[in-house]
Amino acid sequence: MGETIKMKRNLLTGLAGAALATASAAVMAQAANEWLHYGGDQSNTRYSTLSQINTGNVKNLRVLWMHSLGSLESQQSTPLVVGDTMYVTTSTGPKYVFALDAKSGKVKWKHEPEMPNDYFATVCCGLDNRGVAYANGKVFFGRLDARLVALDANTGKQLWNVAVADYKNGHAITSPPVVYKNLVVTGIAGGEYGIRGFVEAYDQSTGQSVWKTYTIPGAGEPGNDTWKGDSWKTGAGSTWYVGSYDPKLNLLYWSTSNAGPWGGQTRGNDSSDIGQYTNLWTAAQLAFDGDTGKIAWGYQYTPSDVWDYDGVNEAVLADVNIGGQRTPALLHADRNGFFYVLNRQNGKLLGADPVVPVNWAKGIDMKTGMPIEDPAKRPRLGVWARNVCPNLIGGKNWAPMSYNPQTGLTYVPLFNMCMDIASKEEEYTPGKFYLASEFNLDMAGSEGTNLSEILAWDPVGKKKAWTIKEDLPFLSGTMTTAGGLVFYGNQHGALKAVDAKTGNLLWQFNVGTGILQSPITYSVGGKQYLAVVAGRTKGPPSFFGKIGQRVIDASPEGGVLVVFAL
Amino acid sequence: MAVTSRGAVLRRATAVAILAMAPVATALAERPVNPYEGDTELVPEGKSLFNQYCSHCHGPDAIQGERPRDLRRLRIRYGDNAIGVFYSTINDGRMDKGMPPWKGVLKEEVIWRIFTFLSTVQTQP
Repeated sequence: MGETIKMKRNLLTGLAGAALATASAAVMAQAANEWLHYGGDQSNTRYSTLSQINTGNVKNLRVLWMHSLGSLESQQSTPLVVGDTMYVTTSTGPKYVFALDAKSGKVKWKHEPEMPNDYFATVCCGLDNRGVAYANGKVFFGRLDARLVALDANTGKQLWNVAVADYKNGHAITSPPVVYKNLVVTGIAGGEYGIRGFVEAYDQSTGQSVWKTYTIPGAGEPGNDTWKGDSWKTGAGSTWYVGSYDPKLNLLYWSTSNAGPWGGQTRGNDSSDIGQYTNLWTAAQLAFDGDTGKIAWGYQYTPSDVWDYDGVNEAVLADVNIGGQRTPALLHADRNGFFYVLNRQNGKLLGADPVVPVNWAKGIDMKTGMPIEDPAKRPRLGVWARNVCPNLIGGKNWAPMSYNPQTGLTYVPLFNMCMDIASKEEEYTPGKFYLASEFNLDMAGSEGTNLSEILAWDPVGKKKAWTIKEDLPFLSGTMTTAGGLVFYGNQHGALKAVDAKTGNLLWQFNVGTGILQSPITYSVGGKQYLAVVAGRTKGPPSFFGKIGQRVIDASPEGGVLVVFAL
Repeated sequence: MAVTSRGAVLRRATAVAILAMAPVATALAERPVNPYEGDTELVPEGKSLFNQYCSHCHGPDAIQGERPRDLRRLRIRYGDNAIGVFYSTINDGRMDKGMPPWKGVLKEEVIWRIFTFLSTVQTQP
């Protein structure tokens, strides 16, 4: 941690004339052999400096060991590797947290949380858990009953267990917390249940709350007037995905979900002329002071959201060269179809370009940061907006992208789908879905039978380097390495390695069930390993009618961890 | 046409069952009656309500791929008791399977409009 990893001057920047991108010590904080954070490092780059497995020999990868996860819902966990121990969670609760010998898969310990039997009914979109965080000999994870737990990393013994919020009114925790200094910081899910989102920091040793910051300003606070009446109380802006942390700036980055309910008539003008009703800070990027939790800056991706353009996707922190200036950037591919580049020091908008077919907005005004909306594509109360692209699963959903400083490219899993959507009247009831929306998502986008793609996107040059089209939606996240590789999987169960420069397929292996989460890589005893968690998506395809049916039919549900080596 | 309480639509199914010469065991069950049975004019509205409240798990127009939650198979699975299973599940939920209880949230006329739509999309055995 914290060591400087010097990157060679980029040898690959001739690619498509891409601007030079170099990595900073802050960004490339990953210890080379381990996988210490959900996103590989605190910058969420999902880039590994390991290169023993590379473009020349990846075809020789073989299965070394496997581990059954013991649950069958969508598997979305990113394992961590600390030293020679792998920590991995399962779906459904989690049902288990395992500590495994990273070389052999032998179980060191197993933690089985005591869960209530009624939390299933207040979880929106699948019984997900995305993994643990590790710091100072402790393992931290959130649960679907909205509890945050600390375990002894050596023994699995539970050290503390606190209720972050009441799960019975729709709160849940699906993603690992962020750890730095003495803090463990968690977000909260519940954007479809009319919660008021927040980020909360706890003391790693005691589980005591240190600070809590709501994403939606309360009565009398600046920005509360961006809400009509009392609508802020049920305005969502949840924080269900992961944060990023820049130790040099001491800023914590978290982005926020859709506004709630999806139907916008309760929150504003029910018009593209949104006026003051931007609904801060929903569908937005926030930067928090690492010590106090005070909001340092915010930028709203989708003001007055009515499309469920939930803005939680990961912030990838990278230092890039823009116009001759080395710039501390934050890269974010949003559900709304645009790929954003912000200055992570001050929130200044540096770029916003569509990476999938987008028709709800003609573009983003670079001066004001506001979308230039097409009024016909904004659903209103009882009025359908037809063929809106992208649909509410987004141009990109949570499955993480990766950033390779050698190529200067991000590798982004995308959807190509559209939707019809209308707002409806609906009463708020605690613990019940609160959408106030009707929609049809069984619609392909302009790519026809290709409903998804992996895009290699140059965030500085603002252009596509290469793209791989795939038939079914819900591609997994990506991971990229100094071996010149990008890894990803699909819902057929195919795990693939492609050339990071060209996208050429170099290796694939069928793991038997769909893959949602990025693979990881690590090294123990001088040997590089590749690990993937697999288990086909189960909840979200139900939204997609016949398209969803094809996803369900593509592979059986499952729960397996597969580890490869040369 | 509005139905105001659960009791108003529950009747002893015994008489109906005897007329149909059904087995005694099922005849003793209390079975709800859809007040809109056969009212095809209500189907589009029922479909819209279904898509608003149910489609997130049960699929738009009841089309999706997970068999345990496929409401087009109510009749295949439960036969004449499909209506009873539907009514008790929507009211009381199946919390351990992820189905929340909707009693007190969805009005009777909404529940029965949804059922009227579902009756039109039942998979044939």
